[in-house]
Amino acid sequence: MKHEISQKQDASVVAFSGEIDLESSPAAREVLLKCFESTSNVIVDLSEVSYIDSSGVASLVEALQAAKKNGSRFSLAAASEPTRRVLELARLDKVFTMYDSVDDGLTA
Amino acid sequence: MSDISHGKDRRDPRRFDRRKSTNVSTHLELLSKMSGHLAVTLNIEETIQKALDLIVQFVKAEGGALFLLDENNNTLVCKASVGPVDIRGIILKTGEGIVGQCVAENSSRIVRDVQQDPDFDHSVDESTGFQTRSILCAPMAGHFEKIGAIELVNKSDASGLFSDTDLLMLQTLASAAALAISNAHMAEDLVIQERVSRELELATEMQRSLLPASRPAPFPVCGINLPAYEMSGDFYDFFEIGDGRIYFSLGDVSGKGMDAALLMSKTASLFRCLGKTLHQPDELLATINRELCETAIHGMFVTMACGLFDPATGEVQLANAGHEPLLLHARDGCFTAIPASAPPLGILPLAAGEDGIRKDCLNLDGGTLYIFTDGVTEGDLANGNQLGVDGFTDIIRESTGLPAADRLAAVVSRLVNTGRTRHDDITLLAIDASIPCLKEDITHNRQPMVIRHTFPARASELQAAREFVNKACADCGCSKSMATDIVIAVGEAIQNVVRHAYKDIEDGEATLEIVCKDGIIEFQLQDSAPTVDPEKLKPEWPEEPGPGGLGICIIHDIMDEVEHLPAPSGQGNLLRMVKFIESNSNET
Repeated sequence: MKHEISQKQDASVVAFSGEIDLESSPAAREVLLKCFESTSNVIVDLSEVSYIDSSGVASLVEALQAAKKNGSRFSLAAASEPTRRVLELARLDKVFTMYDSVDDGLTA
Repeated sequence: MSDISHGKDRRDPRRFDRRKSTNVSTHLELLSKMSGHLAVTLNIEETIQKALDLIVQFVKAEGGALFLLDENNNTLVCKASVGPVDIRGIILKTGEGIVGQCVAENSSRIVRDVQQDPDFDHSVDESTGFQTRSILCAPMAGHFEKIGAIELVNKSDASGLFSDTDLLMLQTLASAAALAISNAHMAEDLVIQERVSRELELATEMQRSLLPASRPAPFPVCGINLPAYEMSGDFYDFFEIGDGRIYFSLGDVSGKGMDAALLMSKTASLFRCLGKTLHQPDELLATINRELCETAIHGMFVTMACGLFDPATGEVQLANAGHEPLLLHARDGCFTAIPASAPPLGILPLAAGEDGIRKDCLNLDGGTLYIFTDGVTEGDLANGNQLGVDGFTDIIRESTGLPAADRLAAVVSRLVNTGRTRHDDITLLAIDASIPCLKEDITHNRQPMVIRHTFPARASELQAAREFVNKACADCGCSKSMATDIVIAVGEAIQNVVRHAYKDIEDGEATLEIVCKDGIIEFQLQDSAPTVDPEKLKPEWPEEPGPGGLGICIIHDIMDEVEHLPAPSGQGNLLRMVKFIESNSNET
């Protein structure tokens, strides 16, 4: 898994790529939680993520909980089919704010 | 002849004055001796040198040279030389100098005294230091071709000058040498022809060996390939993959001849090699296409249809890259044409999928699928008409009830022995789902596919394990979305082993065994970690959305059966998961 962070308007866009699994999810968690130290709006670009497992989902959930705690915004964008499927199986697809693209997330 | 001082005399050999010939019988003897020498060698270089040695000896010249014309008849190259100066390799222009004119005009020359001859080229003497006094030159020619010339210099007697008798002698010997060279040329050509024909024979044999051996009934696939010439630009192949399904293919390379045959061999080999692991016909053709495009030979392409037939269900997954439409002869007797789903291979790189190489799924439902090359439909019948698709379907209809191989033979029999020359290869393939005992037989004999993967229980191993699962799903014929789900579920199961079962253990190991049989795919994941109480492994959705226990819930959601068992070895855990297979054919 790799990641790239860019500032777009008031948001930090975190673009992950590759597979977020047990091996890489601790890194993903750290990246996301760190973002909230400097911004109050984080959009996760999942378009290049080919697979995510429950530990990766857990990292996203933890970031969501952190956002809720300090009144920040946290959303997911452009999830690929396998990623969507895991969120759906985890019954979390309605829990996260999900956008079709990063731009949709920025204008929302 | 009286005017020697002119030193120059062009003559027709037939006009030679017989009164001046000395001892004809001696000449004949020499001639026969030389012919005997020349007859034993078929090596050109050797022939030439030997001929010149004998001629120089017989005519008693100080030196001599034998020139051969090059392939374009433009230049003469000295190939053999006798005498004080070796002039081999010297090149003269046809038509120039005494030798050049002699060849151009196909007439002999005698220059009694070169100092009197304006045609004499002094440059050779100047560069070699040899002093030429008198020259004899006779052309060598075969029936239809000029071969070259023999030049002799300086008679080795006191005068150093040649006589007419010497010229006659040289002319006769040059004719014999021409014949010998001509023979050696022919012998050389024959050797090359022989070698090429032997190589062609081996290549033909090699190419035939690429075709699959025919299989006895009730094997449902059979084919025929009948090349028009030695080598075929068509091919067909079929083989079973581990789960009982049969991969088949038929292709036609554009053009004819050796280049087409070699491209055919390459394509057929790619199919056989890649087909063993790539069990999606569209992806297989896309991969072969990429490979052919990478090493494209200008303007050549391949039309090819391939597919996977499941004898147990009658289902066929097809991909057709620019090949003639396939014909399905249904149980009710109707014929349906199934057109190509992609352009020919070797032109443009294309991905598998709707926009590139599309996959078609159909069920033969007791019918037979026919694939053939245009050599069949465009083949000439005895009456001169082309067979055509209608002619093909007529023959198939007439031979209904016969085994598929006999039906194909019936088609071929109309196209051969018609008294006409065939110009195209004839290739046919039949996939027959009509054999009644087939279903039971094959299903009964079907070996379950079993594969195993043992790996260190570490997070860094998860990705490789998932890839292994994904590939197994594809091999078992799972649809793409089903494979995605299975990878998610098995991925969670393995993750649990790493994260929970081996919680405090560094060097744990896990084994995943995958069995594919009778429409199910079964996973057994075994570890040797401390045994976990199955009660703790029941799926319970958390009341608040959150990550806890998610993996187990996902596994139960996706899999049709989930069982926690004690490991057979006594220590460890065994998780058994079963999924009923929805094959690709349900996906459009």
